[in-house]
Amino acid sequence: MTTTSEKPATPDLAWLDDITMTELERNPYKVYERLRAEAPLAYVPVLGSYVASNAEICREIATSPDFEGVITPAGGRTFGHPAIIGVNGDIHADLRGMVEPALQPVEVDSYVEDLVRPIARRYLEQFENDGHADLVSQYCEPVSVRSLGDLLGLHDVDSDTLRDWFAKLNRSFTNAAMTEDGEFANPEGFVEGDQAKAEIQAAVDPLIDKWIAEPDETSAISRWLHDGMPPGQTRDREYIYPTIYVYLLGAMQEPGHGMGSTLVGLFGEPDQMEQVVDDPALIPRALSEGMRWTSPIWSGTARISTGPVTVAGIDLPANTPVILSYGSANHDTGLYDAPTRFDFHRPPLPHLAFGAGTHACAGIYYANHVMRIGLEELFESIPNLERDTSSDVDFWGWGFRGPTSLPVTWEV
Amino acid sequence: MGFTATVGGRSVDCAEDQPVLDAFLRAGIWMPNSCNQGTCGTCKLRVVSGEVDHRSSPADTLTDDERAAGLALACQARLRSDAVVESTGAVGGRATHPLRDLTATVLEVADIARDTRRVRLGLPEPLAFDPGQYIELTVPGTDLRRQYSLANTADEDKVLELHVRLVSGGAATEGWLFDGLAVGDRIEVTGPLGDFVLPAAEEDDGGPMVLIGGGTGLAPLLGLVRTALARHPQREVLLYHGVRGAEDLYDLDLLAELAEVHPGFTFVPVLSHEPAPDGTGYRTGLPTDLFVDDVASARGWSGWLCGPPAMVEAGVKAFKRRRLAPRMIHREKFTPADALG
Repeated sequence: MTTTSEKPATPDLAWLDDITMTELERNPYKVYERLRAEAPLAYVPVLGSYVASNAEICREIATSPDFEGVITPAGGRTFGHPAIIGVNGDIHADLRGMVEPALQPVEVDSYVEDLVRPIARRYLEQFENDGHADLVSQYCEPVSVRSLGDLLGLHDVDSDTLRDWFAKLNRSFTNAAMTEDGEFANPEGFVEGDQAKAEIQAAVDPLIDKWIAEPDETSAISRWLHDGMPPGQTRDREYIYPTIYVYLLGAMQEPGHGMGSTLVGLFGEPDQMEQVVDDPALIPRALSEGMRWTSPIWSGTARISTGPVTVAGIDLPANTPVILSYGSANHDTGLYDAPTRFDFHRPPLPHLAFGAGTHACAGIYYANHVMRIGLEELFESIPNLERDTSSDVDFWGWGFRGPTSLPVTWEV
Repeated sequence: MGFTATVGGRSVDCAEDQPVLDAFLRAGIWMPNSCNQGTCGTCKLRVVSGEVDHRSSPADTLTDDERAAGLALACQARLRSDAVVESTGAVGGRATHPLRDLTATVLEVADIARDTRRVRLGLPEPLAFDPGQYIELTVPGTDLRRQYSLANTADEDKVLELHVRLVSGGAATEGWLFDGLAVGDRIEVTGPLGDFVLPAAEEDDGGPMVLIGGGTGLAPLLGLVRTALARHPQREVLLYHGVRGAEDLYDLDLLAELAEVHPGFTFVPVLSHEPAPDGTGYRTGLPTDLFVDDVASARGWSGWLCGPPAMVEAGVKAFKRRRLAPRMIHREKFTPADALG
C-alpha cells in the first residue's frame, strides 16, 4: 500500500521558475516570505544563483570560513575588477586598508558634524519655507551624495549628477536576470551603467591627475592614491576605479535610502513619529529600525563557496555563488515579531542591514551619523511635517531598495 | 557565574562570556549598535565603574587612548566585575546643584487667588538651584512627598516661594497646606530637582521665548522669565497664563511691572471657562490655541510649558505647528502625585 508519507517531504519548488525580476524589483517581500518558509537556501533560476533568505543562513554564510566574497555577475559586469566587495585575501586587505582610515569611528567623529550639518542646513534652506517638498529628491538623496561627494573630494561634481550616477549604476548593478544558458537576459540594461562610468571617468580622471601631483589630505580619493605607498608612487587608477564605483553607487545612495525608508516607516506610525520629533535622542533607534524594516542593500551582496560545503542541509559544490538577501533576513519571523511593521520599540535585536563577516559594510559608523544628522536637522527645521497622502509611497528595488519619492507638506 | 551591568539606573544580569551589549539588548534596553563584531564602533560606551575584558576589540575601533579613558565596545566587552556604564553621547551634561535635605520654616502663608496659596519658606542656609527647578515637601507625620516648583530666581536662595493649588480631598493640600499650616511651622524640604531650566548664562543667546503656564504652573515660569529678562533686558518674551476664570489670576502687579520695565515682555492672561469681567480685556480660550493665533512663526524661539499633561501636550503640538524646534521645547508636567494634592 502506498501512503503519502512515503513521498519525499520536500516542497514542490516549481514556483521558483516563475519568479521575474520585475516582480522582485517592485516588491520582493512576498517571494522571499515563501522562500524563507519553504526553501531558505534555494536556487532561483531568474537570478542564476542560490539565494539565502533567512537570518540564520545569511549570517552563517557571511561569516563562514568556507565562503569568500564575490560580486554578483551583474555587479561584476558593472564595476569591473577589483571591486572591494568582490575580492579577497591580500587585495581585499589592501583595499580595506585604503578605505578604512577615513571611516574609523575616531576619524568620523572628527569631521562628520562639520561635514554633514551645514550640507543638511543648506538643502533645508532651499525648501523649508515652501510648505511642501519631495524629501527623497530634495533632501535625503542630496544630503547623502553631497556629504560623501565632499568627503571624496568631488566638490565640483554637482549633487544631481551624483544622484544620476548612483541611479544608473544601481539599475545596471541589479540587472540580474539570467538566461537558462547563464547569459545576461537583458544585456542592454548595462548600457546606462557604462555611460555613467564614462561620465565618472571624464570627471574624476583630471582630479586623479591633479592629486597624483598634488596630494590633498582632505580628499579621500587622493588618500587612496597615496596612503601606504612608497614615496613617489601611487595606486594605479584602474585598480581603485571599481572601488570608486562601489562608493558612487552604494555609499552615495544608501544613506539616502535609509533616511527615506525610516521617514516612511515613521509616517506610518504617527505616535512614533511624534516621539522621535520630540526627542531627537530616539533618532538612532528609529534609523536602526528603518534599516531593518526596509534594508537599503536589500540583496546586493554575495559569497562563493571555496570548497564543497553543506549549508542548511543542502550540498553545495565548490565555487557556488550565494546571494545574501539581507532585506529578507531582516524580516525573518523567527527573529522578529510582525516584521513588516515599522516599530522602533520592538525588542532591539541586531539586524543584518550592514552585513556581517569580513565584507561587512566599512561605512556603518559614517552612514549612521550622516542619517542621524540628516534627520536631526530635518525635524529641527520642520517639526510639523505631514505626509502628502494624495498618493501612496512607492518603493523600488531588489538589490537596493528605498522609496522613490516622499511628498510631504507642512504649515509654513 | 555572572555579573551585573547597570546603565541609566537599570541593571541586567550579564553572564561571564556574554557581551555587555547582548545582555542589555536581551533585557530590552536599547543602545546604539550596528555591526556586532567590533568593527563599527557604534556601541562604544563609557565604563564608569567596574572592570571589563575588551576581548577581541580591534585597536582601530577602540584605541589604546580610548581604553585608557575607560571606553569599551559593548558588543565585545565581557564583565570581570559588576559594572556601571553610560552612553558616550550623554556625557558632558551641565553640572547640577547638589541635592540637599533641609528643614525650612514657614514665613508666610497667603491666599492669592481662588483656592491658591503662596507659601514662603525660610531656609537655615542658602540653597543653590536653577530657576525652574522644584523641591519636595514631606507631609508631616507621613511618608508622603509632594513636589512644588520654585517661583524664585537663583539669588532668592534663602526664602523659597511656592504656589499651591487646593486639591479637593488631597492629603497635602486640603489636609495640610490649606488646613492649619501656620507661620513658624517646620517643614522637611528636599531639593533642588528637575531639568526645567534655562541654558547656562554663557550659552543663552537672548533668543525669543514663549512660556505657557496652567494654573499654579505659572510658578516656575516666574523664575525663568525674571532670570531671562535680567540676562537680556530687551529680549522678546511671551508669557501666557491659562486659568479657568479671572479669580484664578495672581501676581498681576508683578507681571505688569515687568512689562513696564521690559518692552519685549508680553503677559497674556487667558480664561478658559469663565467670561472676562467687564473692562479687563482678558482673552478667553486655551492659551495654546491663542499662541497659534498670535505667532506666525516661532522658528528660533525656545518654548516652555508647565501645567496639566493635556495642556503640555497641546503646547508641544502648537509649538511644533509654528515650527519651534523640538529640541528647544522644555516641559514640566504636573506629575500624577500633584493631582492627589
